[in-house]
Amino acid sequence: MTPDAAGRTGGSRGRIDDTFARLFSRVGVDMSLTRALALGGLVLVLVSVLSVLHYIVLVSQEPDTFFLLVAASLVAATVTARFLRVTVALSIAGVAFAVGLFFYLGALSSDPQVGALLASNAELLSGKSILEIEAATLWALSVTPAPVFVLWYLGLRGWYGTATLVGAGLLAYFVLTGDAGLPLTLLGVVGGAAAVGFGDLDRREHSQGALEAVAVVLAVMVVTPLVVSVVPGSIGLPFGFGGADQSTGDTTLEASLLSSDSEFELQGSIELSPKVRYTVTSTEPRYWRVDSYNRYTGDGWVRSGESVPESEMGLPNPPGPTREVRQTFQVESATAVMPAAWRPVAVSGAGDPQVSTEFGLAPSGTLSDGSSYQVTSAVPEASPRDLATAGSRDPQRVTERYTQVPASTPDRVAARAESITDPAENRYEAASRVEQWLESNKEYSLAVDRPEGDVADAFIFEMDRGYCTYYATAMAVMLRTQDVPARVTVGYTTGEQVDDDRYVVRGYDSHAWVEVYFPDVGWMRFDPTPASPRQTAQQARLDEARATGEPGVDTDETDPAQQTPTPTETTATPGEPTTVPPSGPTQTTTDPYENVSEPTSLPEDDDGGSPLPDLPPPDQLALAAILFVGTVAGLRRSGVSERVYRWAWLRYQPQTPPPTDVERTFRRLMYVLQRRSRPRRSGETVRAYLAAIDAGEEARELAAIREQSRYGDGIGQEQAARARELLRRVRSREAV
Amino acid sequence: MTDTETETADAQAESAIAEASAVVDDVIDNVEGVIVGHHEEIEHIMTALLGRGHVLLEDVPGVGKTMLARSVARSFDGSFKRVQFTPDLLPSDVTGVNIYNQQTESFEFREGPIFANVVLGDEINRAPPKTQSALLEAMEETQATVDGETYDLPQPFTVIATQNTVEGDRAYDLPMAEVDRFMKKLHLGYPDEREETEMLGRVVGDHPIEDLSAVATLADLRAARAATAEVTVSEPVRTYATRLANDTREQAQLGVSPRGTIALLQAAQARAVLAGRSYVVPDDVQAEARVVLTHRVRTATDRPASAVVEDALATVDIE
Repeated sequence: MTPDAAGRTGGSRGRIDDTFARLFSRVGVDMSLTRALALGGLVLVLVSVLSVLHYIVLVSQEPDTFFLLVAASLVAATVTARFLRVTVALSIAGVAFAVGLFFYLGALSSDPQVGALLASNAELLSGKSILEIEAATLWALSVTPAPVFVLWYLGLRGWYGTATLVGAGLLAYFVLTGDAGLPLTLLGVVGGAAAVGFGDLDRREHSQGALEAVAVVLAVMVVTPLVVSVVPGSIGLPFGFGGADQSTGDTTLEASLLSSDSEFELQGSIELSPKVRYTVTSTEPRYWRVDSYNRYTGDGWVRSGESVPESEMGLPNPPGPTREVRQTFQVESATAVMPAAWRPVAVSGAGDPQVSTEFGLAPSGTLSDGSSYQVTSAVPEASPRDLATAGSRDPQRVTERYTQVPASTPDRVAARAESITDPAENRYEAASRVEQWLESNKEYSLAVDRPEGDVADAFIFEMDRGYCTYYATAMAVMLRTQDVPARVTVGYTTGEQVDDDRYVVRGYDSHAWVEVYFPDVGWMRFDPTPASPRQTAQQARLDEARATGEPGVDTDETDPAQQTPTPTETTATPGEPTTVPPSGPTQTTTDPYENVSEPTSLPEDDDGGSPLPDLPPPDQLALAAILFVGTVAGLRRSGVSERVYRWAWLRYQPQTPPPTDVERTFRRLMYVLQRRSRPRRSGETVRAYLAAIDAGEEARELAAIREQSRYGDGIGQEQAARARELLRRVRSREAV
Repeated sequence: MTDTETETADAQAESAIAEASAVVDDVIDNVEGVIVGHHEEIEHIMTALLGRGHVLLEDVPGVGKTMLARSVARSFDGSFKRVQFTPDLLPSDVTGVNIYNQQTESFEFREGPIFANVVLGDEINRAPPKTQSALLEAMEETQATVDGETYDLPQPFTVIATQNTVEGDRAYDLPMAEVDRFMKKLHLGYPDEREETEMLGRVVGDHPIEDLSAVATLADLRAARAATAEVTVSEPVRTYATRLANDTREQAQLGVSPRGTIALLQAAQARAVLAGRSYVVPDDVQAEARVVLTHRVRTATDRPASAVVEDALATVDIE
């Protein structure tokens, strides 16, 4: 079947191997155990690589095409491995890869230069997620078939090492882009090692011991990262032992939101920083927006697309009527982000800032303490009536980009969103209902465990409390399921007002909210986070910081004695109440959404009561299985299991009728003696054996008791007890 | 049976075995006063005697076969007769004849030499098959048939036969069926130098066998035989004997017959008595296996029968 089939015949294989080969030959397949294991290793590599690609694809809802492509590649590889020469196969794969890339480049909206492509690749390799590139799904779909085909083709041809190299190359790429997590990477690496190790054994004669040795090495590979993780500062556990605890402690809300990165994952418990960041002079109190995220991944948000310098792109005006708001930001501590009121149309004093695809501003370097910049913003002017009549005829670009949810998003999210927005007649009303529902049904808390699985789903159905990113994520995802374009925006709230037009913005003012798109108006802010508990938490933190004398929490203008509440609004639109209805059990029955907030009214909530514990993800299960097999092989190899069994067997004696008892005692004696000298040969009587090995008095007496019990007229309890006593003496002398 | 009765029975069996063991020891001591060396062979003859078996001594002439048999026979107070088998020996010369008594005007039966407690058959392979078969019937049935009349032989009855391995061309090979009826076949072999020297010292002058007197009665022998028959043969030992026999059957053209297996266990019982033990252990079986089994095995190749038996002893597991 394969070129090396001849090389694998004959030789003294292990017992397991023979059984396995016989089993397979019965169904007409020429397959040795080592070959199966090596191919199994390659499957692990494939799974690891494909999981990453699948994740990318899943975020954009094209899983069927993806699976079809993978299956087709595997089938093609399996078929062609029988007759196609390696060079031909590799050429075909190369052409397929080139065609895929060409297809991808052709589909891109802009016409990228080769240099820009290389630059973006370099950026990817330095930790930028593939999700951030344009048309990531198309990219994943176009690069998938060729490597899958080559890997499986080479594996079937018996070129395990080369096949592993192909998989490892792709996996390494994903590791560098940060898309492959530690468990997945480990799975791929262990799979590759298994493919190379077992593949090597497959090519030569081997003993069962060699098989077991490879299994042990694989287990060690799984264990090592666990052990090494104990060292502080290392990457972290591949298993979810730490869970959310990893993110407790020094993570601040601000750091999690505003790391000037183009993606953020939702965190567990976080803290508030009371340090002053900016002093803003503005003609109007606004939320100071930093940037938005357009792509939801299930556990966080990503901003796709490249930032470009302001000088190249400019800052266009929004479509509808606007009013001008001018702001001056005095930087109070060094920063890499430039907050501004939506929507910035002119900026000065910060060189040539980068403008993201979501019109967020970022300095080209960092802004140092004491520097300042000016922004002119065109704030969309729209009354609730305007918004209600804005309709829903969005540009296609907006629909594609801002209504995406991963295919893995549970259906109940959409169902709940629909039930909340059901009587809504327009987009504005729908957004307001979702906002109100979240404000009244979830409690504000900074101490939460980061949930497993889809964050929006978890927050809506399982969690009782959370903070702004959870609220914003849940709202944006719910709206998206109803085909309302929405994005999550991060930045700072207005801050502490210290003068008519001056505001002090502290670290804890960092915030996440939602922006909803209205045709002919643009993006409007909706803040689903209940304001008052958030402000209470902030004030408490500020008081604490002042009490402990933390530096940098006050400016000349702020007055510790004067407790000025930070003005925040529930929504951007005028006429909305600024106070937030109390949440939780005090909710009055007049709330029109109360019926949907009752968990009992929705049967899909019930699956939370399943008595079975959740299984860890499959990649971790696979690693655990490898660990288990390796441990078993290791114990067998070291003989520990046998020794432990014998140790207990020698000592544990159940009470049975004397003959059985003596017979068992006698067998143990034989075991002890055989370890000291040699086993009794077949055809050798016990007497002859004892004489030959020059056994001691006790052994002979025990043998005599047994002889009488077995061949004579039987024995009593005392003799059985005597036999046990004799065995104990022999054993202690032989120190077994 | 109550425990007390069991204990009493056990105690009786123990004492019977002790007595039998003492009788055997006496006889062996007595015989060794005459025969130099050959301790093992003497023991083998004694176990055959206890196990109701017959013995075939095979060797070159002049190594003391007849002397050994006579010494054993004379240690009992029973009758001892000797038959020299020759090519012209008739069956009636062995069993006896009906002779017409003119005084009583009737035929009366004159007993042949087979009517004795111990019969020494010298060089039986020199007699024709018909004569051998007369001995055969006597050995198996413990009775003799003459002119249609059946006569019981005295009890106990033991045949010790000798057979020369030289002069093969002038001998009638014993048929396998007859060889099978001997419990064991022994080879005496030449004495070693020390033994032969000592033997020469003894026989110069009066031959000591003339002074040999009986040390045991027939009643002692009968009691000893009864005790031997009572010796326990446990299931594992029976299994072991069966497996040995099976092993020879697998190896050779003609293996050990069931009669051979029975003989093996009887000999093993006697061996246990010699040790004063009331049950058979595998060591007893092994001690008897070579002499009991070897002459019942016939190989198709050059491989000696003894190798077959040795092989069986070395490979069959003992449980």
